[in-house]
Amino acid sequence: MQKVRVLLFGAAADKAGTRELELPAGEGATTLGELWASLSRRHPGLSSMRGSLAFAVNGEYASDEDPVRPGDEVAVLPPVSGG
Amino acid sequence: MRGLFRIVEGPIDVGAVIRAAQRPDCGAISSFVGTTRVDRSGDAFVRYLEYEAYRPMADRKLEEIGEEIRERWDVRHVSIVHRIGRVDPGEPSVAIAVASPRREQAFQASRYAIERIKQIVPIWKREVWSDGYVWVGSQVGTRPAVRTG
Repeated sequence: MQKVRVLLFGAAADKAGTRELELPAGEGATTLGELWASLSRRHPGLSSMRGSLAFAVNGEYASDEDPVRPGDEVAVLPPVSGG
Repeated sequence: MRGLFRIVEGPIDVGAVIRAAQRPDCGAISSFVGTTRVDRSGDAFVRYLEYEAYRPMADRKLEEIGEEIRERWDVRHVSIVHRIGRVDPGEPSVAIAVASPRREQAFQASRYAIERIKQIVPIWKREVWSDGYVWVGSQVGTRPAVRTG
């Protein structure tokens, strides 16, 4: 079965206890929101951060209803703090 | 417009960033340099900052900021260099240089660049204190003051 690669950064990596993982992807497209549900079930420590997190799919900001397909790279992005 | 957008893992040569912005058709270069500040809280203090980036998205977002600046102001050169990894007190983590024919545009554009970095570029800063660390913006970390957060 094909997978979705998930990258976690900053505080999200801390909370999940990992910087990278793979989630099984369904046959067709799922949505980012559905992927989040699966991710937060596996890593409950992330749940409290939900309101502050942004997401990227294949390197571009994405929202809950956007599709995620097998082979995509999803990034979990806490509030950015560069500078 | 010329531009230089780069994420680096070693010290930033601020002089070189500014020199690269010098142009005969411009009368102003405005620069901004962000440096590591030692905050204090009781007996605790910041030892250094550590930055991480989601690449290559972060590289692309720096270039996007350059595009946004070009759409808004008559600037002829934009450089943005951001350092990742450990940055010790007083050392630069980011250097911006904007050249324009007149100073007002350069001032506005360089300010815009640093504000946009803090909004859209996937880079994260961890303050490493003498008693633990904290991810800036998330208040997640190991310092006694944030451990419950």
